[in-house]
Amino acid sequence: MNQPLAGFAPAPVGARMENHGSHMLKVAMQTGNDLLARVGSMIAYEGFIQYEPNPPAVRQIARDWITGEGAPLMKCSGDGLLYLADYGANVVVINLAGEAISVNATNLLAFDANLQWGVERVKGLAKFAGQGLWNTKISGQGWVALTSRGEPIVVDCGGGEDETYVDPDALVAWSPNLKVKGKRSFKAQSLIGRGSGEAYQMAFSGQGIVVVQPSEDSTDRLRFRG
Amino acid sequence: MAREFQRGHKARISDLTAGTDLYVGVQITGPGLSFDISCFGLDADERLSDDRYFVFFNQPKTPEESIQLLGAQAGDTESFRVTLDRIPSQIQKLSFTATIDGAGQMSQVAPGYLRIVAGGEEVARYSFNGSEFSTERAVMLGDFYLKDVWRFAAVGQGFDGGLDALLKNFGGEALEEETPAPPQQPQSGAAPGFAPPAQAAAPPAFAAPSAPVPPPAPAPQQPQPAPQGFVPPPTPAPPAPAPAPSVHAAPTIIAPLTTPPGGAVPPPGPAPYAQPPGQPGPPPGYGGQPSAPLPPGYGQQAPSAPPGYGQQPPYGQVPAQHPGAPATPSAYGVPQQAPQVPQAAGVAGALQAFKETPTGQRWTQQNKKLVRVDLGIGGQPVLARQGSMVLYQGKVDFGYKGAGFAGRIVGNATGQEMQLMRCTGHGQVFLAENATHLHPIELQGDAICVSAENVLAFDESLQYEVRRIEGHGIPGGALFTMQFQGTGTIVVKTHGAPVVLPVTPTTFADCNAVVAWSAAAQVVVSSQVRMRRNAYPGDTGESVNLQFRAAPGSFVVVQPYEV
Repeated sequence: MNQPLAGFAPAPVGARMENHGSHMLKVAMQTGNDLLARVGSMIAYEGFIQYEPNPPAVRQIARDWITGEGAPLMKCSGDGLLYLADYGANVVVINLAGEAISVNATNLLAFDANLQWGVERVKGLAKFAGQGLWNTKISGQGWVALTSRGEPIVVDCGGGEDETYVDPDALVAWSPNLKVKGKRSFKAQSLIGRGSGEAYQMAFSGQGIVVVQPSEDSTDRLRFRG
Repeated sequence: MAREFQRGHKARISDLTAGTDLYVGVQITGPGLSFDISCFGLDADERLSDDRYFVFFNQPKTPEESIQLLGAQAGDTESFRVTLDRIPSQIQKLSFTATIDGAGQMSQVAPGYLRIVAGGEEVARYSFNGSEFSTERAVMLGDFYLKDVWRFAAVGQGFDGGLDALLKNFGGEALEEETPAPPQQPQSGAAPGFAPPAQAAAPPAFAAPSAPVPPPAPAPQQPQPAPQGFVPPPTPAPPAPAPAPSVHAAPTIIAPLTTPPGGAVPPPGPAPYAQPPGQPGPPPGYGGQPSAPLPPGYGQQAPSAPPGYGQQPPYGQVPAQHPGAPATPSAYGVPQQAPQVPQAAGVAGALQAFKETPTGQRWTQQNKKLVRVDLGIGGQPVLARQGSMVLYQGKVDFGYKGAGFAGRIVGNATGQEMQLMRCTGHGQVFLAENATHLHPIELQGDAICVSAENVLAFDESLQYEVRRIEGHGIPGGALFTMQFQGTGTIVVKTHGAPVVLPVTPTTFADCNAVVAWSAAAQVVVSSQVRMRRNAYPGDTGESVNLQFRAAPGSFVVVQPYEV
């Protein structure tokens, strides 16, 4: 009866984080090596794993509220195999080796608890009065899993002065050392219902990569709050 | 849209497809003949310097799985998966060959082909038939070779000897047969020896799944002693000389990997969960799986593991020779290996799989759901659905594209209205929408009908107009569609992977799921009217269908999603 399903059995564990298929993340959990994951992303687990909401410090709460970038996270600890997914989105596993990556909170699935992370203001982005763009920066030595609606693409910014423009709705992650600017391709025409649908882009330049998904989420990427 | 190759034709693979993950299918048949189809990975001197790069039924993949034998499927006698960017640098050429197994000569073969499929689409086909050959017993069908970039050449060169002569030609030792063979048999049975799907099915243990298995392979196993006169029956298959050298080589890799010696009994292990049709053989490692998940120390090993974890015995991961575990997911289209293999530490390593594909074409499909247009090439603007840009590089201007007054009226009346923007300037624009599958279709003077909501972008050089589908009994009065005509490319989006049906006298499609059809097809609305449907609750929900009538060659694209 289950013959056709045999192909979906989990592969033997090879690393701390692995893809099972392209939409599921498999994490080999171990005591002392905790994991922070998006709340509600657990779909299955094997072994003894405990979940606790990550009680953020008061300051963190305040910050979340201000920035809107507060990804609700839970702390998973224990021994076993943990499977995570986010509504069928593609999962990309990254093994950080001392590097840093900037991620939209909505695209963050899980990461090792020993990584440094925090909500940061994106520098250089044109600010509307009193508002700014915030995102989550992760750095250190360990594993990170991102989600992307559809298979993402990685574009190298080339390192020169040339700028790469990204629709903020499709942006997943980028190298934090890139220079970011806002660009408005907003014309007076748009006011009379003749816009191109592309009103605002982010311009990246410098040495690094930008990860973009083939979908424009309707969820807020840029959190403006003030 | 496959490009037809003749003997001697060559082309850059990047001109055929942007992808590097290729499917190579070979169809070769002949009355009473059976064939061994194999792939030789040759070095710069055209020698088979490493036996592990001789991919054939007994060694279904190379150590890093850049070349995998997939078995018979989809009309192909034999098929391979070739991942060009994972082929090690010393391999400069892949030669695909077919050898007659037993008596016979190449002049007897029926029309066949070698084809390359990338991204679900056939991009190249080299057709041949027996009249091109005479008494040869082997033929080199086609080559992938590295000359600056990977290229494909349709070779079609006959070869007098059989597989062993071919092997000699490539410098592989055609080994002295049986002495090594018997002792190795049990071992290779565990991993490479009985690996090919065909053989796996042969043992009676799996009666059920054997049905879909290609007949040619089991056959050779028995008749083998007779025609060739090889003494020891245990040798895996007829071209005994050939397999043996590789079997030689193979165990050296596998030996440590097949930790469970119990794996030496291949049939019992896999029996409980027989294979899905067409799947490669039983993964003995799978049986050991229960113990695998929680070895006491696997956690610590992980961080240090990535560079070489594939080779580590404790996990029983056995990527090299195990036909089962690693290959199965890929056969399902789940690219499990993709993220695993390039798992070099670091951001760059992890994201290697998602790199931008460089090509010099105007329209490039980046992956299934992303398409890139290079505005610099061709110089003409592109019209795209509003808001479909996800990223661009260079100096590109996005402007509103109005339909005009008449266009608005027509659009409103027919529902075939497109909200477009015009992209002008120089640079590359990446287009995508809601993670739908994208399909660039190149029109060369012909026409295609697409429903307006399935159009993502197209060259401004294309003319388009709203067309009415004749029919009666439709609630709204009539159905409308958009017809595109001219020379240029149109990108059609579908929710999910579509099916492309050739138009036959009895081709019907749901009007909500149909995406596009070649304009040569005539469309008629056929509605099922039954008293009962109208009289009682319990409507089938399938009331209005489109029937297509056309000359052969026309097609219909249907998506697995009803709007």
